[in-house]
Amino acid sequence: MVKLEDLKEEARRLLKEGKVKYIIAYERNPLDGRAVPAFLRKPEDADRIAWDPTCVHNLVRFLVDEKRRKAKEKNPDTRPVGVVVKGCDSRALVILLQEKFIERKDVHILGLSCEKTGVADERKLAKRLKGKKAVRVEFGPEDNFTVTTQDGAVTVPAAEVLAGRCLECIANFPVVSDLLLGEKTKRTVANAFASVEPLESLPPEEKWKFWQEQFRKCIRCYACRSVCPMCYCDECVADTINFAVTADTPAEEKAQKIKWVEKSPLDSENIFYHLVRAIHLAGRCIDCGECERACPVNIPLRQLNKKMEKEAKVLFGYEVGFDPDKPALISCFRDEDPQDFIR
Amino acid sequence: MDKILPKKDFPLWLKNLSAYALYAPRLVDEAWSYEFVTDPARVSLDYPLTVVPAKKIIFPQRESYFEFSQDDANGYRLAETLPEENPVVIFGVRPCEGRALTLTDKVFGGEFEDLYYWKRRRAVTLVGLACGTPPSPNCFCLSVDGSPHSREGLDILLTDLGDKYYVEAFTSKGEDLLAKGGAVFAVPLPEDKKAADKIQADSENKLARRLENIKDVPLKLKGMFDSSFWDEESLSCIRCGICTYLCPTCHCFDINDEVESATPLRGRRVRTWDTCQFPDFTMHSSGHNPRPEKSSRLRQRINHKFQYFQEVWQNWQCTGCGRCITLCPVGIDIVKVVEKVRDHAS
Amino acid sequence: MTEEFEPKIIAFLCKWCSSAGSDLAGVSRMEYPPNVVPIQVMCSGSISPLYIFSAFNRGADGVLVSGCHPGDCHYIKGNLYARRRLALVKKLLEHLGLEPQRFRMSWVSAAEGQKYTQVIKDLVRDLKPLGPQTKLRRNV
Repeated sequence: MVKLEDLKEEARRLLKEGKVKYIIAYERNPLDGRAVPAFLRKPEDADRIAWDPTCVHNLVRFLVDEKRRKAKEKNPDTRPVGVVVKGCDSRALVILLQEKFIERKDVHILGLSCEKTGVADERKLAKRLKGKKAVRVEFGPEDNFTVTTQDGAVTVPAAEVLAGRCLECIANFPVVSDLLLGEKTKRTVANAFASVEPLESLPPEEKWKFWQEQFRKCIRCYACRSVCPMCYCDECVADTINFAVTADTPAEEKAQKIKWVEKSPLDSENIFYHLVRAIHLAGRCIDCGECERACPVNIPLRQLNKKMEKEAKVLFGYEVGFDPDKPALISCFRDEDPQDFIR
Repeated sequence: MDKILPKKDFPLWLKNLSAYALYAPRLVDEAWSYEFVTDPARVSLDYPLTVVPAKKIIFPQRESYFEFSQDDANGYRLAETLPEENPVVIFGVRPCEGRALTLTDKVFGGEFEDLYYWKRRRAVTLVGLACGTPPSPNCFCLSVDGSPHSREGLDILLTDLGDKYYVEAFTSKGEDLLAKGGAVFAVPLPEDKKAADKIQADSENKLARRLENIKDVPLKLKGMFDSSFWDEESLSCIRCGICTYLCPTCHCFDINDEVESATPLRGRRVRTWDTCQFPDFTMHSSGHNPRPEKSSRLRQRINHKFQYFQEVWQNWQCTGCGRCITLCPVGIDIVKVVEKVRDHAS
Repeated sequence: MTEEFEPKIIAFLCKWCSSAGSDLAGVSRMEYPPNVVPIQVMCSGSISPLYIFSAFNRGADGVLVSGCHPGDCHYIKGNLYARRRLALVKKLLEHLGLEPQRFRMSWVSAAEGQKYTQVIKDLVRDLKPLGPQTKLRRNV
């Protein structure tokens, strides 16, 4: 069991000794009991830190902002930034290290093990509570969650309300960290790709029907892109102005910009956007599931990313986000890579 | 005109409205959405709040302005693509959304009418549903001059009396709609009226959220334009478009040419929703971006809703539906931000 | 009688092998279906998945990527990167429900004019029964 007090203590110490610039952690929104990202600067801020099954966010996302901010500063504070990570989040960090987007010395990693549970899916939880509002969700006892509503506390088996990503998690404790709290216990996952199999087994027309209905809902708010630590491109094909335009960019260059995809939420354009996102995350997505959680219209985006993760494993024996020194999935190959689809 | 509509007869009324395109809330993959009604028998107004507001029908995310083409035979040609004024009814519109339309009416109306908006707006009849209980834990309509039973912007207001609706029509469009129902409506008894009044009055005490004493917020915001407050408040913002795309009052758009073919030239000019939260929203062609940071973009959202709109239209540009709070992936809470602005020492 | 459907195919051909192979087919006056719009690229490894999605988006009924045989790449290993990347593209498109026949890859050397014509013939033959590709096509 993670002792929250240990985390607070460490955060307090780091901030007091000036070892870190600030710490990205979770705190509880007193109004609804849900965790939200918190940015701690003073030792006493450490008292606000929370750790419970509503800590769904992948805080590694905010290291992207940090890097951008730092790049603009004349005399940047070079101390590392502290960040609280779960197992999945730590794998996102591995990707950023692997791609040399951030350097190991710039981040102080406070790792928390989800042990045998994980985070709660808000929608599942709401269903389980049948309309009652959870004011607080806590880990334990054992592999259960304690959910407090206005009618008192109830014990809910974690498996019933765990987020889909947690049910298929292959790293329930951080793979890289400066401090690791909680135990390195492994929950057995029979099939890490179980969720994509029903769709995989459908004939093309039915798959298409499914996706067409899903993508028709897309309102292109780009929450999936915005919430993703790996979507850090300076220019995205989905933006109307995706050129890194500066005052020195000549008019010809701007005029020659290719418009790959329209801003209109047409079926074809929505699909194009999601295809590009899926392929760009192939071998990079570590299934933190944040895109799916953030989506306001409930498009099952993990179905795309998980499929790519599965193919990387099946076709190329590649596991994502464990080794920062390994080359990226598509910047390497093996002689024996399958080519039965090639004439 | 007040009537009573037994809930079991609701589909009968809908069936009499074949001259209209009907929209009503439907649960699609566990998210409520205003959808085209194909089967009146399945329509139920027993729903909380849709994710995407009804603005998507009146101010669609994509609107074609005109089509253009060029070829040897005809030279350049432009053809306006104004939407047709086909009558539409939207059922179950919450009072905050009705009020929101009165605000977008101001923006798209006035001296220069936006015909694309008004063609659809004039054709729509809004059947509202009073909120007996708050449809969202983050409702705060009372604090921004609204109410759970506001009639503003609506044509009809339904109040749920258990097995029947108390029906109030207060525009000619609304009365037309009741007339089409004919015998399905009954004359209300005095106690029905009493019950409806009580539900409406009680509903005002049920809202969980308040945003009080905001009279001076516009002035306060004016003085806080360069404050570091915005840097701190926006730290967790991820710059997605949820808060604005799902806001019933947000109305910003982008205009693009969608070229289908270069030779012969064929394409159309369209407007699509856009949002101040996207980094490229204010990007100039020179490369200069007056709002380069997410702090300035969060400030823009709050300023527009609680200062600029008040200055120009003497209204808050927020009707307190709470969507942006409930659906923000990182829990940014407009009520809390405005409260902090109000209490900010400046 | 209705006219037979003629699929439109976008073929990305590497400059050093497949494009030369297609030239050989041409100068040798080998016959093959005229359904292909060839686009010469420097290497099959330079093909971004974006090109393929875009081809389908702009109305291609089928897309072919053709490069050098493994070991023959002018840039040593560009085709091997392509092999891995495009395998993922293929899997992704199929996961979405696009017919597997619509996206194809081949190794065609500069000497294989004959093979090039066969690749095209096979592709056209496989696409004809499918009819037009409407799934990813831009719908305005």
